[in-house]
Amino acid sequence: MRSRSLCARSLYVSVVGLAAGFGLAGCTDTSSHHVAKSPGVAAVASYSGTPARVRRMTQSEYTNTISYVFGSDLTIGEPFAPLPRTDGLLASGASSAGMTAGEFQQLQRSASAIASQVVDKGNLGDRTSPRRDFLVPCKPQAVEGPDDACAAKFIRQTGRLLFRHALPDAMVTELTNNAHKGAADLKDFYAGLATVIEGMLLDPGVLLITDTTEADPARPGHLRLTSYALASRLSFFLWDAAPDDELLKAAESGALYTKKGRTAAVDRMLASPRLEAGVRAFFDDMFGFEEFAVTAKDPKTYPMITGQTLLDSREQTLRTVVDHLITRHGDYRDLFLTRNTFISPTLAPVYGVPSTTGWSAYEFPADAHRAGILSQISFLALHSHPARSSATKRGKALRELLLCQKVPPPPPNVDFSAVENPDPTLRTARERLTRHSVNPVCAGCHKITDPIGLALETFDGAGRYRETEKGAKLDTSGSLDGKTFASSEGLGQALHDHPQLGSCLVRRLYSFGTGGPLSNSDTPAVEALSAAFAKSGYRVPDLLRMIALSDAFAEVVEMPPAPVKTAAAGLEQVAK
Amino acid sequence: MKHTSGIKAGIAACAAGAVLGLSAAASADDAIVNNIRDRSIAYAVSGGHWGFYQTADGKAECPDGINDVGPRETFKALFPDDGTKRSVVDTQLAREAAIWSPEERTYDFPYHYAGGKVGLGLNLDGKVGPNDFTTPDGEKGIDNQLFRALGCLRWLRGPDGIGYHFSDIYMREFNYNRGLIELTNVDSLADDPDVDVTIYRGRDDLMADATGAKIMPGGTQRIDYKFGQKFITHLKGKIVAGVLTTEPVKEMYWPFAWFGGNPGAQHILDMRLRLKLTQEQANGFIAGYENIEEWYYGLARGRSTHHLAYGSVSAPGVYKAIHELADAYPDASGKNTAISMAWGTDLTQVFLQKKPQEVAGDVPVASKTERAGDRR
Repeated sequence: MRSRSLCARSLYVSVVGLAAGFGLAGCTDTSSHHVAKSPGVAAVASYSGTPARVRRMTQSEYTNTISYVFGSDLTIGEPFAPLPRTDGLLASGASSAGMTAGEFQQLQRSASAIASQVVDKGNLGDRTSPRRDFLVPCKPQAVEGPDDACAAKFIRQTGRLLFRHALPDAMVTELTNNAHKGAADLKDFYAGLATVIEGMLLDPGVLLITDTTEADPARPGHLRLTSYALASRLSFFLWDAAPDDELLKAAESGALYTKKGRTAAVDRMLASPRLEAGVRAFFDDMFGFEEFAVTAKDPKTYPMITGQTLLDSREQTLRTVVDHLITRHGDYRDLFLTRNTFISPTLAPVYGVPSTTGWSAYEFPADAHRAGILSQISFLALHSHPARSSATKRGKALRELLLCQKVPPPPPNVDFSAVENPDPTLRTARERLTRHSVNPVCAGCHKITDPIGLALETFDGAGRYRETEKGAKLDTSGSLDGKTFASSEGLGQALHDHPQLGSCLVRRLYSFGTGGPLSNSDTPAVEALSAAFAKSGYRVPDLLRMIALSDAFAEVVEMPPAPVKTAAAGLEQVAK
Repeated sequence: MKHTSGIKAGIAACAAGAVLGLSAAASADDAIVNNIRDRSIAYAVSGGHWGFYQTADGKAECPDGINDVGPRETFKALFPDDGTKRSVVDTQLAREAAIWSPEERTYDFPYHYAGGKVGLGLNLDGKVGPNDFTTPDGEKGIDNQLFRALGCLRWLRGPDGIGYHFSDIYMREFNYNRGLIELTNVDSLADDPDVDVTIYRGRDDLMADATGAKIMPGGTQRIDYKFGQKFITHLKGKIVAGVLTTEPVKEMYWPFAWFGGNPGAQHILDMRLRLKLTQEQANGFIAGYENIEEWYYGLARGRSTHHLAYGSVSAPGVYKAIHELADAYPDASGKNTAISMAWGTDLTQVFLQKKPQEVAGDVPVASKTERAGDRR
């Protein structure tokens, strides 16, 4: 049973939906009064801030947060609907996502299940642990009824972590009263507490990440994020989860507004094991891996690709990313050249290599033709058809996901017969696409995708290595924006050397960190960060640090004021 | 005559198939397959059936018909429902006792042997005798008297016989059936006059492919060094036209877990292999002789009466048959104690993780290499 007030707060979400970012007043100061520096990295000047936004928590943010607050053994479910991909990221779509009544029902079920687990008294037979004994920081005087002091202690402690700020006394009192009523009605202290937990998990203050702002004393007339909002932004950026107690303390103390305090907080977060979750969430988003949820291969054509193979291929790439960028502190560009990766038993047959039980580190031999994540199953299989490879899909994915370029969709009247039902004498993808591209309507786009994707034709739609197609020798030569190559390894090198590779990552990471798509006002910051990223040797932890410590990360830039609509103005528009 | 093989790949037919050399080869869909590492390739059992020749209607190999007298039928004949009062001890338990302590002379129910001249397996003694079979492709002198004894049991006939039906399933699902065959010092899977072959028992699950119907090549198996020492056997062999033939060894144990997945083994004497090899599969026969008493008690232990009843298998009848048809290893009285056999096995390529595990005692030791003597 939820309290009426909490129901009302929660229902607000379903009724009003989640709006796009708020337009807030003010321009940013171009003076650099908070300069972020990384060791050996040039200072990143502060040129702008970001709009204050309200965005919906993502599924992974919700899962990580619940896991960190209540324990990783809880069954959480996946109550969130998919987000719209916006400016290359699902995370950016969270700032313009709505919520349906059905989705809210899912959230309610999840919240109810989580609450039940939090106050679970445990059962040896069911092998469930008595979570109430360690998640509730006190014992009620009597289990059969209310205990306001104990309830308030729990609410204050747990609510602070869920809402990401200290709860006002009035709110603690309201929630405690709810717990009291629930315990009295249900004659169970923990059942009463569960109603409050469920209500908190449905509260817009938990589900919505709101960039609350305040006047910026360093820039009179301008706004900055409140310290709690800054803590949330830092935490969701670096950890993909809500702030922990220590970060909230830093926010409460005002330390996040000092250079020393914010640096210490960011460095602690970068050194935390939670960083891996943040990095994984970002690259999973940037690489478009949500598509794995709807990807399947024809089992007759690719019998070695099971559902587990696809899951593991996603995991392989994310492990490679974390290992290369974080553990080894490697050059981001080398992600497209490295032969170091990880292998699972289901991936090994596709790569034709031995494995061990579970995951194990593996380095492809130099002659294995596997270099970089472009040659991993995740990229190759995800950007293929169910029963054949696709040079076009691969080329498009490379440009859009990794270089932040936009490839136009095919025109509605395009004739796909040359590739869908090809002339049987055309044995290779190059031959089929050449025929297809004879049509000038098609050629415009194919010329920017196919010369890239054809280099990867040595990997079939499952990602297995081949040198022929239907017996015909494959020609894997091509070019990427003026740089020619002869093989998939050459494509990896061309991508490695591409000037937009690093800046695209900066764009995506900056969007990911600030919670929305880029706008023109972000350009100076992104350019400065791109230059600093290059100077750092393309070290992602350094980039994360630079973004997190940049002034723009904490400062708020006003959106242009919306035109005032009056009846007269409306009539005037109509007249025009 | 149209016929189907009791196993999926008759060896005689193998020689005509395409074979792949040591170098990497492109499969039908162009993917490069090269599973040979350091001149070695290994395979894990992914299916298996007795090497029984079988035609669609069974008339050729079972001219007297398919056996239809099993435990239910014998019980009904011995103890008709005529109003006689009988005790459980004298009826059900007596029949159970007859399974565990069979007396071949006392079994007096119809039991049909496989007949005809066509059979599967290998020529074990190098001779062409009057009771030997000829393969569908004309190889003479095939020694497989176990086929003669059991080939007309519905239980073991494909595809619906319950023993046949569950055979592949048990081979795949029970890890105690994880027989491994490793070829080392391989220069070519097409032709190599001298290769080393080692048999192990593996420890890991097989991986089904996306169809769910087949086992995927390319898995990895750990070797059971701790509890699988008795399975480790070394053989010498040669590959001709893509078919591996080994010299016989005196004896070997082949993993054979049946009812409930309990660990077991076929104890095969004078054992040798003949397998068609590709980069991803190996198919063929494990052949030799099995001690008839050991074999029979393996049957009794591994299958309950009700399972035998489903296939009309009279255990005492089988006992009588294998004693009558035993063809090797005579005892002091001159009575043969072993019967020639062929087990058709399907294997799928795997990589071996040969590094000894951390478990104490889990290390390789010298194994049986003694060649078969002339004890037939």
